Amino acid sequence: MIRFVVPLIAIVLFFLEPVFGLFSPIELYGEYRFLVPRFLIMYLIFISIYYSRNVAMIYGLVFGLLYDVTYIDIIGLYSFLYPLICLIASFIVRYIHQHLLVTTTLSLLLVALLEFVLYQFFLLIGLTDMSMSNFVYGKLIPTMIANSIFLIMLGWAFKYLINARFIQRLNQPS
Amino acid sequence: MPQFFSNKRLIMLLVGVIFLVALISFSLRDRDHASLPEQFIKDVVGFGQSIFSKPTQYITGVFENVDSLLNTYDENKRLKSRLEEFAKLQADVNVLTLENSTLREIVDKEENLRKYEPIQATVIARNPDQWEEKVVLDKGTIHGVEVNMAVMTSQGLIGKVFLTTSFTSTVELLSTQNPNYRVSAMVTVDGEKKVFGLIEGYDDERNELILKRIDSNIEIKAGQKVMSSGLGGIFPEGLYIGEITEVTTDDFGLTKMAYIKPAADFALLDHVMVAKRSMPSASGIDGEVIVEEEEEKEEDPS
Repeated sequence: MIRFVVPLIAIVLFFLEPVFGLFSPIELYGEYRFLVPRFLIMYLIFISIYYSRNVAMIYGLVFGLLYDVTYIDIIGLYSFLYPLICLIASFIVRYIHQHLLVTTTLSLLLVALLEFVLYQFFLLIGLTDMSMSNFVYGKLIPTMIANSIFLIMLGWAFKYLINARFIQRLNQPS
Repeated sequence: MPQFFSNKRLIMLLVGVIFLVALISFSLRDRDHASLPEQFIKDVVGFGQSIFSKPTQYITGVFENVDSLLNTYDENKRLKSRLEEFAKLQADVNVLTLENSTLREIVDKEENLRKYEPIQATVIARNPDQWEEKVVLDKGTIHGVEVNMAVMTSQGLIGKVFLTTSFTSTVELLSTQNPNYRVSAMVTVDGEKKVFGLIEGYDDERNELILKRIDSNIEIKAGQKVMSSGLGGIFPEGLYIGEITEVTTDDFGLTKMAYIKPAADFALLDHVMVAKRSMPSASGIDGEVIVEEEEEKEEDPS
């Protein structure tokens, strides 16, 4: 049963992201603030930390490809960045303590990294001309706040579920 | 220091990176045409997406209802004060429409740039990373949506269709940064003269559209209304875009430039209309029209 819950949550998060995207941008103090939902990649980082790096990278590749084809129309962007972020997460986690608070912070930092890399990419191909300060105040910080609220609310549930699956896999060697 | 990459892995990584760069540059080249597998994936994901977005829209609808209920008193007061004005306007419009149709009958001209068939659609997703201003609708080519059609809400124009599949379509909003995005617009001065210009670009800091290439001999003022002109070949005429807030000269001082406050709100979109023009429309994107016509000419003699 729990075997199917892990991918099912990934699918639900994948579909929820654009729905939450509809609420953005919000106008605050006379300026638009963009809230970018990054639920799926945070979940994949958790899988990469608590379960298996390879599973996370395969999920990253599949969902990244779907994301590229449906929303971005640039194939290869997210399907490269998602597995890369999972890989970085699995490298870093060897040197730090696996407490929930630490992994939450790590996930948020990696989301910030992802956002920054994407900013540089879109700047490079000329699809945006947002200035650096505009990016930080109008996009990066609101995004980080929104995603941290999400992760603080649901991070423990992710950890619990993924751990349950991990233990189940240990108990029944294939 | 442990070795992160063995030789085999390093080579795989390099091959992967090269493959990806090739893929990115390939897909960047023609982003406005979806290949068959892409269309299939878009349709399937779009179907799943509409399952998720419909309940969400119901919930936000409930919240909006509660919100508008709280404002009822103020709104009612304001609306009552405008009611009288509205009745007069309505009478005027009725007379004018009648007069227009009789005059049209006299000169025997049935077709009109203003006429369009609305296709009702629901927004099922917004491009979640928001680097580009795009939304996905739940209507596609099967329902009659075609590339470059105008999309609007009840408040005004919001964008045009950028890409279609059988069951979904992607709309690029007016607030895009795309330099090739233009909308032919007009301003009616004193109710008798039409002034034409092009909407080119969006000012990020003011959150306003920029109307360029206006004849510098003509006086236009802040507060005048801007509509689509229908001369771009695809849009119907008279879709409301917004109101002028400031008029300046452009970078070279040859033509005038105006900032327009868009009438429609680009955030929290839910129900939109795709305007299918009744008059025959020009096909293709900028620059492509000529090529297609030439091809037809070549075919004709043979």
